[in-house]
Amino acid sequence: MIFNTGAALLDAVVLAVVSGEDEGTYGYRITQDVRRVIDVSESTLYPVLRRLQKDECLEVYDRQFDGRNRRYYKVTSRGMAQLNLYKSEWKVYTQKINAIFEGGVTA
Amino acid sequence: MNREEFLAELERLLADLPADERQAAVQYYADYFADAGEEKEADVLRELGSPEKTAGSIRADYYGREFCESDFDRKEYMERYGQPAGQDAQASADASRGNGGGGEERKKPWTSNGLKVLLIILIAIVIWPVTLGIATAVLGIAASAVCLFASLVIAAVCILIAGGAVILTGLILFAAVPSAALVVVGVGILLAVLGLIATVGTVKLCIIVYPAMIRGFVALCRRPFYGKAV
Repeated sequence: MIFNTGAALLDAVVLAVVSGEDEGTYGYRITQDVRRVIDVSESTLYPVLRRLQKDECLEVYDRQFDGRNRRYYKVTSRGMAQLNLYKSEWKVYTQKINAIFEGGVTA
Repeated sequence: MNREEFLAELERLLADLPADERQAAVQYYADYFADAGEEKEADVLRELGSPEKTAGSIRADYYGREFCESDFDRKEYMERYGQPAGQDAQASADASRGNGGGGEERKKPWTSNGLKVLLIILIAIVIWPVTLGIATAVLGIAASAVCLFASLVIAAVCILIAGGAVILTGLILFAAVPSAALVVVGVGILLAVLGLIATVGTVKLCIIVYPAMIRGFVALCRRPFYGKAV
């Protein structure tokens, strides 16, 4: 993709992906889901997840899977609020961009 | 390199991070490999690049948070993610164009880069006496800062010892002039207690200050190398 994905947008996409799973989801799957929409390298997401966790937007828990502990990520209420903020900001932003691209009718 | 080697190397490279931080990262990538499955192990390894690169992204994020103000941190962080993507796009755009103009455009930074290095070296040679002076001054300030806290501890210990000596003197005087001796012993006890409090306080201060100094210094040295790591 030729458009850069900034930190905030990456946060928003990760939160959205994780919030899609009621039970929470795990690192590999988050990476695959995010990579379906934006082109990020596999090493990009760990720092993002770690930071969202420190900011209390995500919580983690371990669950047995296939004879090992797998770490699951879940969106907290704070993360949900943050995601909603991102969504509304994104809506405003895309509307403005669309307005410029399409000749200023939608704004 | 297989995944065991990758994980072992990653753990080794993150040795300077707190244990929980290191463990969480290694655990994450161990999970990642396990979830990707054996048949995709080679793909994941190729995509992750080297353990150094992966460790770099973890470390950059960790130190970025630890040492910068939140605003600065956020901006820096954004640039870090923005830049490589932008460069990739630029490179692919150039490649797809594939004409002479694109090639020339790509060449330009190369020559200016070489010139820059040459210029920097020349400037460094010319202002060498000045930089040497500044470097010495910075070293001196750093050394005095290090010594300051150590000297505080020494001073506090001296007060403690002096208090002990005064108590001793008072006890010796006791036989001769009991009333004066009581005063002296009292003053001595007061001094000793003050010295003890000061010692504990300054030692605690050192415990806080010295690691912070070292970490700050390490971060400063690391900045040029890890600042833009992804």
